[in-house]
Amino acid sequence: MEDNKPASFVDQLVVPGDVVLDLSKMGNQTVKLGGGLHQDCDAITVTKAGRLRFSKPNKYWVESSQKRYVPCVEDTVLGIVVDSKADNFLVDIKGPALAFLPVLAFEGGTRRNIPKFEAGTLLYVRVVKANTGMNPELSCTDASGKAAEFGPLKDGFMFESSTGLSRMLLSSPTCPVLEALGKKLSFEIAVGLNGRVWVNASSPSTVILVANAIMNSESLSVVQQKIMVDKLLQRIQ
Amino acid sequence: MQEREEAEELVTPGEVLGKGSQLKAGRGAYFLPQNDTVYASLTGRRSLIPPSPLSSDQRPTVEVTGHSAHGAIPEPGSIVIARVTKVMARMASADIMCVGPKSVREKFTGIIRQQDVRATEIDKVDMHSSFRPGDIVRALVLSLGDARAYFLSTAKNELGVVSAESTAGATMVPMSWTEMQCPLTGQIEQRKVAKVGGQA
Repeated sequence: MEDNKPASFVDQLVVPGDVVLDLSKMGNQTVKLGGGLHQDCDAITVTKAGRLRFSKPNKYWVESSQKRYVPCVEDTVLGIVVDSKADNFLVDIKGPALAFLPVLAFEGGTRRNIPKFEAGTLLYVRVVKANTGMNPELSCTDASGKAAEFGPLKDGFMFESSTGLSRMLLSSPTCPVLEALGKKLSFEIAVGLNGRVWVNASSPSTVILVANAIMNSESLSVVQQKIMVDKLLQRIQ
Repeated sequence: MQEREEAEELVTPGEVLGKGSQLKAGRGAYFLPQNDTVYASLTGRRSLIPPSPLSSDQRPTVEVTGHSAHGAIPEPGSIVIARVTKVMARMASADIMCVGPKSVREKFTGIIRQQDVRATEIDKVDMHSSFRPGDIVRALVLSLGDARAYFLSTAKNELGVVSAESTAGATMVPMSWTEMQCPLTGQIEQRKVAKVGGQA
């Protein structure tokens, strides 16, 4: 149930300080607050600028897009190895602190077959622990211990994007720009929720075209994205 | 000199304090048999303690008390109050503030390792649900540890988090030995709480 105010804030742009919900007017329901919202006795105020979203039955959160990434548990991210210590690799995931990837957090990982990653290796990893004040912990396996495409990414090209664009690329049904590109070109793509995207294809021009198309598509609507992709593809053919 | 006088001389390590035949080496001093001399080993004020009339050896004891002797120094077995500064996967580091009832004058660091947080199930301890940065803990000094920090332990009922602030900024109220509740928002946070007070 949305709030009873005539001007509902759901799906609107909100800025920090806006009072979006008044719990005293909403009866006895439990409301789940996600990121970007803060409870002050009975008033729910916004703490992050973005769009207020609501999902039935009672979840509210603020969706915003920025270049900085705040590590969350169960996020899949692209990290770059910075250093390796005795027990874990130090990986940069564009967050406030370096993350630790334990040396044994691989499928079938034992002390005898520890992978050797040089500084600069790009990894597709999953965030296991992300507590404030502590370094996040990563893993190259999924929750059941299987490898599931996690691990180092070879060749290809990595570029940075905003977190909002990463979420759009990962949304289902398939993002329009990826669908339009996929109809004509064949390429491999890995999207990290921390604002990093990796693209690989057989020819460098395909890689550049895909990367440019994705970078341009952030603020375009569905139709605009399709038109933009068509224009770029015409230049190749 | 039977009493200690305020205008005692300042001595530095290596200074001769007297002959071994006339003085016994106390705290901050040592005796070299080859030279039969008592030397100072600390920087501080030299003071003489008169011998007790019952002992057979009637030599006064000379001791050197340093400036930082005014503040307390953590010893193995003493209960300290510390503020947690960093929480990591296997240990938490804390700044020791008081030793027993006295506050310290210089900075001492302590480390609480994962196996020293509590007495039961020590390999399943989650450091993040035991301490957070900024918590005030009561701990026992296990040993002098390494060059950087003392080793502390909270593995007893009366040791652990004494005072903590919630994410909303209010001082939390302890609810059990694992939980504390914020009075402003009602949120429950996990800590290793100390059992304070005499009665059960």
